[in-house]
Amino acid sequence: MLNLSSITARMAAPANGWTGFLDRPKSASQAFLVAGAAWFVIGTLYGLVSAIDLVAPELFNNIPWLVFGRSRPIHVNTVIYGFVTGLLLGSGLHYVPALLRTRLWSERLGWIGCFFWQLTVLSGPLTFSFGYSQGREYAEYLWVFDASLVISVVILLFDMLMTVASREEDTLYVSVWYFVGMLVWTCGVYPIGNVMWRPATGAVPGLLDSIFLWFYGHNLPGLVLTPLALGAAYYVLPRITNTPLYSHTLSLAGFWTLVALYSHIGGHHILQAPIPNWLKVYSVVDSMAMVIPVGIVLANLWLTARGRGGAIWRDPAGRFVMAGTLWYLITCIQGPFQSLPSVQTVTHFNNWTVGHAHIAVLGFSGFIALGALWHVLPLAAGRRLYSERLVNLQFGLIVTGLAGFFAVLTIAGLIQGSAWYNGEMVYRVLPQIGVYMALRAMLGMLIASAAILGLYNAVKTITSGEPVALSAASEEVNP
Amino acid sequence: MKMTPLLLVFGGLMVFWASVFAMVIIPAITLDRTPSEIWRPWTEKEAKGHDLYVKNGCSYCHSQFIRNFDWDLGAERIAASGDYAGQTPAILGTERTGPDLSQAGGEHPDDWHAAHFTNPRFTRPESLMPSWEFLGKENLENLTAYIQAEGGRDADFRVARQQEWKQAALAAYQSGPDANIQWLHGQIPAVWQPMPNPYPATPADLGRGKKIYQQFCIHCHGSMGDGNGAAAPYLQPPPLNFTLLRRHLVENRYIGGIFYYQIMNGITGTGMPYFKRELESEKIWDVSNYLAVMFLGYTDANLEPRGIEASYEPPWKNGYEAPAAEDVK
Repeated sequence: MLNLSSITARMAAPANGWTGFLDRPKSASQAFLVAGAAWFVIGTLYGLVSAIDLVAPELFNNIPWLVFGRSRPIHVNTVIYGFVTGLLLGSGLHYVPALLRTRLWSERLGWIGCFFWQLTVLSGPLTFSFGYSQGREYAEYLWVFDASLVISVVILLFDMLMTVASREEDTLYVSVWYFVGMLVWTCGVYPIGNVMWRPATGAVPGLLDSIFLWFYGHNLPGLVLTPLALGAAYYVLPRITNTPLYSHTLSLAGFWTLVALYSHIGGHHILQAPIPNWLKVYSVVDSMAMVIPVGIVLANLWLTARGRGGAIWRDPAGRFVMAGTLWYLITCIQGPFQSLPSVQTVTHFNNWTVGHAHIAVLGFSGFIALGALWHVLPLAAGRRLYSERLVNLQFGLIVTGLAGFFAVLTIAGLIQGSAWYNGEMVYRVLPQIGVYMALRAMLGMLIASAAILGLYNAVKTITSGEPVALSAASEEVNP
Repeated sequence: MKMTPLLLVFGGLMVFWASVFAMVIIPAITLDRTPSEIWRPWTEKEAKGHDLYVKNGCSYCHSQFIRNFDWDLGAERIAASGDYAGQTPAILGTERTGPDLSQAGGEHPDDWHAAHFTNPRFTRPESLMPSWEFLGKENLENLTAYIQAEGGRDADFRVARQQEWKQAALAAYQSGPDANIQWLHGQIPAVWQPMPNPYPATPADLGRGKKIYQQFCIHCHGSMGDGNGAAAPYLQPPPLNFTLLRRHLVENRYIGGIFYYQIMNGITGTGMPYFKRELESEKIWDVSNYLAVMFLGYTDANLEPRGIEASYEPPWKNGYEAPAAEDVK
C-alpha cells in the first residue's frame, strides 16, 4: 500500500488535496529542519532553566517540572535528538537523494519517520517533567518512546536504502556513507544502550548496566552525531567552495576508522569505577587513537577548502560548518586528553566535562547542523533564505555564548577538581563556582536568543522567502 | 576501493557488531556478579526510594562510587563491583554538584533528612539542591529510607549507631536544659574540657568565624544562636541554644575545647553533623571564638594554659571577664 502510493506520489507532479504536502518533494526534509529549529529553542530554554537552578535554586521553588533533576534531561535529550540530530537528518533527507541524482524513494515514509522521531523528542518534556523517566543519562526516554525512535530509524533506513537502490548516480559519495551508516548503527546502538529487552527499567541489574550505558553514551556522539555531522560537512563545504573533494582514499580511511575506533571508547566515562581493567585500557587506548579518524577527516575537508576561505567566510552556512569543524578539532584534542587516568583525577565529576559535552554537541555537531540548515532549507523549500543577516547574528551570538561557556565551565571544573583532589569537600567548593554558574547562565541567554532568531528565520524562509525556480544545474552541483 | 551499497551496509554492520562483541558482550559474560560483603537486598520502602532517586534525576548531581583518592562523604569505602549486585538501574553518575551518596546511609539521622529535603539550605546553607517538599511526606520517607540504605551493611551499622545515640540525646534533652548541657559536656573526653581557645579573638578572627557560622551553622542554630533556625522544627532533639552555655563554662572559665570537639566530631544521633572533613583547625577555632563572643558574651581565647605564641599573633589581650557565679544562676 505504502509503496504503491509513494511511487505514484513520485510520479505525480504538484501534489494536491489535504494530504498533498505529504507527497511534495523534500517536504519531509523541511519538516525535520523546521522541527529541529523549534527544538533548538525549547531544548535551550530548558538548558537555561537548568543553568538558573544552579545559580538560584529557590527561584523556581517547589515547581516540580522545573527542578534541575527534571529539566536537565529534557534539555539534554531535546538538543541532542530534537535539535542537532533532527536538523542533520532533515538535511540528509535532502542531500542523499540529491547526491544520488534521484528523489527520496518515498516522501511519505520520510514523513512517517519524522513523525515517530518527533514523538520521541516530544515525550521528553511531557514525561520527564512529571517524574516519569528511566533515569539513565542520555537513555531516559521511556520504552514506548524508545520504540518510537527505533521505528523511525528503521523506516528512514528502509527509505534510504530504496533511494540508494533507485539512484541514477553510480558513485556513492562519502556523505551518503555516513548518513546510511548512522542509520545502520543506530539500529544497534540505541536498543543495546537503552536495554530495550527489559522495558520496565531499560537497564540490566548491577554494575554491568554502566558498561551498556556508556557504550551507548559515547556512541551517541560517536555513531549518531559524528557521522551525520561529517556527512553534512562533506556535502556543504565542497559545494560552497565549488571544489572537488580532496581525496577519496582519505574519505574511506576516515569512515572506517571512525566506526572501528569510536565504538570502543565508552569505558572512559567510568574509568574510575570498578569495571574490569582490560576494558579501561581498551577504552583509553582507542580514545587516544581517535586522533586518527578526526585528523584524516579534517585534513580531507580542509584540503578540499584550501584557498577558498573567503568563499566560506562570506557564506553564512559555510561559516557555520567551518566553525563546526574547528570545534571538532578542539573537542577531539580535549577528548583523548581527558580520557587519560591521570588527567581524569582532576577533570572527572565536575564542570570540565560539562564544558566538553557542550563543545561536542553544540560546537561540533550543532554548528554543522545549523550550517546544514541554512544551506539545505532554501534548497529544499525552493525559496531564498529569509535573512542572511539573522544567520550572521545567530552565528555571532552562539560563537560568543559557546566560547564563553566553554571557558567558564572549564575554569569551574578545574577549581572543583583541584580542590577535591587536595582534600576539600564538594560542599566547600560550591561558593567558589557560584560566579561561573552565573556567567554560564548569562552566556546561555545568548545561545537561547540565537535559537529564537533561528526559528524565526527558518519559519520565515519557508513561508515568505523569495521563491526561486532552482535550475536543475544549481541544485545538482554535487561535490 | 569502491564503496558499494553492499559493502557500506554489511561492512558497517560487521565492524560495529565486532565492537559490540568486545565492549558489551564479553563484559556481560565475564563480569563477576557476586555480591560484596557489605551488600544486602533493599526493603520495599528502600526500593521505592531508589525509584524516586532514578526518576527525579538525583543522579545528575550525585555520584554513586567512591574512588581511591576521594576525601568526601563515604571515603572509607572504595567502591567494589559487588556493591551494586541486583540494583536496577545502578546509576553511577557523572557529576558531583552534591556529594557522592554511595555510602550516605547513617551519616545523618532521619530527622536531618526531613529538614534537608524540605529545604536543603535549612541544614546546608550553601546547597544548590532544589527543595523536594512537593514530593510529599510519604515519598520523602521512602527517599530517606533509600539514602539510609546506601552502603548496605556498613550503612546499617551507622544507622544503628545513630538510633542508639538518638535515644540517649533525646533522654538528655527531656531532662531539662541544664541537665542536657551537663550530659553533652560529659560526652567529651576529659582532656578537651579544660582547654582554652588558642586563637586570639581579634576582629579578623571573629569575621572569619562569622563567615563559617553563616556557611554551616546558621539555619539550625539561628541568627541569634538560640537554636531557633529554620531547621529547628524538624529536628529532635532541637539545635542547642548557645546562650545557655554561659552558665556552663568548665571551671567557670573554659568553653573553647568543648566547642572544638563538638564541631569536629558532631553529636551522632542528633542533627549536629561532624565537620572534621570540611573544617580544619583554624576554621573551627575561629567559629568557636565567634560563638563564644556573640552568644555567650565571653571567650576563653588565649587563657592559660598556653604555649609559646605563634609568630603571627598580634599583641591581643583577652578582656572578657568570666561571668560571676551568682550572675549566671
